[in-house]
Amino acid sequence: MKSPAITLSSPVIRFRLRPIRIAELSFLVFLIAAMGTPLLFLLTGSFNLAAPGKPAVYGFDNWFRAFTDPGTLSALWMSFLLSVVRLIPAMILSVMFAWLIARTDMPGGKWIESACWIAYFVPDFPLVLAWILLLDPNFGFLNTLAKSLPFIDRAIFNPYSFWGIVWVHTSTGGIWFKVMLLVPVFRRLGASLEEAARVAGANTTTMLWRITLPVLAPMILAVSVLSFIRGLQSFNTELLLGTPADIYVYSTKIYDFLHREPRAYGEATALGSVFLFVLAILLFFYWRCLSGNKKFTVVTGQGYSTLRVKLGKWRYVAFTGCLFYVGVMMLLPVTFLIIGSFMRRYGFFNITSPFTLNHWHNMLADPIFLVALKNSLIIASVTAIGGILLYSALAYLLVSKRTVTAPLLESLCWIPHVLPGILLSLGVLWLFLATPLRFFLYGTVWGIAFALILADSPVTTQAFKAGLLQLGSDLEESARVSGASWAYTYRRILLPLLAPIAAAVGLMNFGSALTSISTPVLLYSHQSRPLAILLLEYSFTGELERAAALGLLITLIIGAMMLIARKLGLQLSGSD
Amino acid sequence: MAQTVLEFCQVVKRFGSVSAVDQVSFSIQSGEIFTLLGPSGCGKTTTLRLVAGLEEPDAGEILIGGKAVAAPERGLCLPPEKRQLGMVFQSYAIWPHLTVFENIAFPLRVRRESAGVIRQRVHHALEVVGLGGLADRGATELSGGQQQRVALARALVYEPAILLLDEPLSNLDAKLREQMRVEIRALQRKLGLTVLYVTHDQAEAMTLSDRIAVVNRGRFEQIGNPEEVYEKPATPFVAEFLGRTVSIEGKVAKNHANCWIEFRQGAGRSALSSVAGEALADGATVRVITRPEDIEILDAGGLAPNQLVAKIEQVAYLGDRFEYHVQTGGASFVVSAPKKQRYAAGDIVRLALDPARLNIRPL
Repeated sequence: MKSPAITLSSPVIRFRLRPIRIAELSFLVFLIAAMGTPLLFLLTGSFNLAAPGKPAVYGFDNWFRAFTDPGTLSALWMSFLLSVVRLIPAMILSVMFAWLIARTDMPGGKWIESACWIAYFVPDFPLVLAWILLLDPNFGFLNTLAKSLPFIDRAIFNPYSFWGIVWVHTSTGGIWFKVMLLVPVFRRLGASLEEAARVAGANTTTMLWRITLPVLAPMILAVSVLSFIRGLQSFNTELLLGTPADIYVYSTKIYDFLHREPRAYGEATALGSVFLFVLAILLFFYWRCLSGNKKFTVVTGQGYSTLRVKLGKWRYVAFTGCLFYVGVMMLLPVTFLIIGSFMRRYGFFNITSPFTLNHWHNMLADPIFLVALKNSLIIASVTAIGGILLYSALAYLLVSKRTVTAPLLESLCWIPHVLPGILLSLGVLWLFLATPLRFFLYGTVWGIAFALILADSPVTTQAFKAGLLQLGSDLEESARVSGASWAYTYRRILLPLLAPIAAAVGLMNFGSALTSISTPVLLYSHQSRPLAILLLEYSFTGELERAAALGLLITLIIGAMMLIARKLGLQLSGSD
Repeated sequence: MAQTVLEFCQVVKRFGSVSAVDQVSFSIQSGEIFTLLGPSGCGKTTTLRLVAGLEEPDAGEILIGGKAVAAPERGLCLPPEKRQLGMVFQSYAIWPHLTVFENIAFPLRVRRESAGVIRQRVHHALEVVGLGGLADRGATELSGGQQQRVALARALVYEPAILLLDEPLSNLDAKLREQMRVEIRALQRKLGLTVLYVTHDQAEAMTLSDRIAVVNRGRFEQIGNPEEVYEKPATPFVAEFLGRTVSIEGKVAKNHANCWIEFRQGAGRSALSSVAGEALADGATVRVITRPEDIEILDAGGLAPNQLVAKIEQVAYLGDRFEYHVQTGGASFVVSAPKKQRYAAGDIVRLALDPARLNIRPL
């Protein structure tokens, strides 16, 4: 009597395991296809002598041509050199900033921290434009100012140079992000370590040199290596400032290969795969240095520090110094971006009525601008929403202990974190051109959104993972025991609780989709050109005033987005 | 009268190569509080989660109300929402985005009860746990004790077949814990609930339970009522875990009629019943195990059977009593005595064992 009931119910009942397996499997297939194939194409494409989409012909000619081009090796070297040289001042300054904010009684520390936070989200391309407005040898404001001084009769600043690029980087990516990473590290340092040094008779300087910095050294090193790797991925600044001076880094070199006629896909891909190789070696050392170091456990010590170093009268000097840095590196260029967008002809202050609204009027009435705006909004919205749906589900799978392939899924979703935008773009380009996807995705806004969603995978997944881990499994499990199905639990419990994270992450991804240049630069067509690419074209054609206006507009949109995101983020942490 | 509500048959749950639950069988009757007691990591919470359907067993069978809910051999594993259980989590798992009312109403909404029924039953549940009037509070505005009551109300609101409690009192302060212990017991009696209770606190287990299962390394060492497991621990682990023990080594001695244990260093001897003596060989080394509260301290004098000569090594004054570190027959342990008995370190005394409360274990 019992057995028929069992045979009837068992197929229904086994269902519990199946959805999660199916979900896991489909994610695995998707991630391998989406992250793995571009990478594979990148590696094999360099041996393919035919253009993408044509029948493949294999050989070493691409490698030969790429490396007989004298520019190739020097571009790789330049990437390395630029990344190292600008890392040194940036690390010294950001450690100083972080220490002043987190561990001293410097007034206004919170303000400086917020300023760094805001500065981090100011998109870099408009800032590069602003520095051109300030430093250009012909019309740069600072050069004009210098020339009005006696004994100086020619331009003293030149942004189109090695040191120009280093300087502008210090303003754009520079120290803001590193300060944000380091401040919590300094705050978390166990109070007892420093207090013990004090009791043992150390003064502030001794404590700082003998205890604080050595204890934090592994973390500072990790941030440095990460910044170095991210520095190698830089594209925008080098494109705008390096190209006129014939300074190429590997990313602008790839761009250059693909903007020749005929497009040199093979050479670009060969260069790309060499860089992948270099990157893999760097990452190996980065992970070794992170995992092999037990000193990290000390840093996440017990008890937040209340002990703050008393700076005495130096506290105002320190505050003024920080303020001055933020002023020169952020306020000054943004101000000139605003002025530039309203000037009839930038640099000519002495003509009658030098200021005008014309550039804004013209831009807003330009049909090309309107199409680009529409494209950008579609791309950014699709990227944001797609990223939320995809990666919240992926994070759920990774957190739930029932997934068998979690390590594989995890490493696949980390690939874009280290893959420079231009290489991701190149890989996706190969994927589109060599497969039937070209009919749906090549040159369309959807193709660009696809690449951007891939690029967002590590940060978005980690954010959702952190959120889910913080919620813990109890809230979900108690709903299940209460009688709710998984779908009901997801809708009534998980989704409302994750909503603030989803909103914050969505807005961030929306913002970065809006400003990204290196990812769409190989994928757009005239129909799908987004705002950031339009900005690039304006600056190449020398329409600096219009570029300034557009750059400012993008900055304003991002600013609004980030303020909302921060509000949501704060609400989230307040409710715990 | 008593029906079997939950039954485990040879259930196994492995995590990697570790068996968290190792061939466990037991059953719970309706209306009883059955407690899983053991140190952390012993598998008691895993057992509870197996009942809830939050973990899947690797082998064996789990039956609720006579129906199989998990039987891996047949590919059967009912999801948690199909098992009609109530559960209170250690963290309470109060959903922070819902009010107290909505938290408790959740199981009823899932079951598509009408609004009127929901209102009435939620308010009733709130009254039962003593939280009437707090229905519209946000869940995060509650104290720990109140959250605990909300979690309890949520688990009770739809009258589950079994109420699962996973260390529900461990996050409360000592006083509140004692109060809740009494309240849970009263509530269980009043509503006739069947409860599966997990704890590592032996005092909690002793006062609350009808029956206790002492769990160690995924195995049930002993199942019995509180008195049985305390007085007649089946294994050394159970004895150790449920309170302090005293163990003294000795040798079995027999003649044609009697059987006794000679303690070392001529400290004394202990008579054995003939039944206990049967199983032991003459001259075998044994360990005599008892509890310190079953040992009485007497002034020095002639030794009767079951008495040992001991030396006081250290004295501690605890306000309401004395604690004496004593040394006898090669063993040392702590025995308490009332205030009126005063000895100094170095004094020689007699220790009287209670022959009814001795456990003999061959070595």
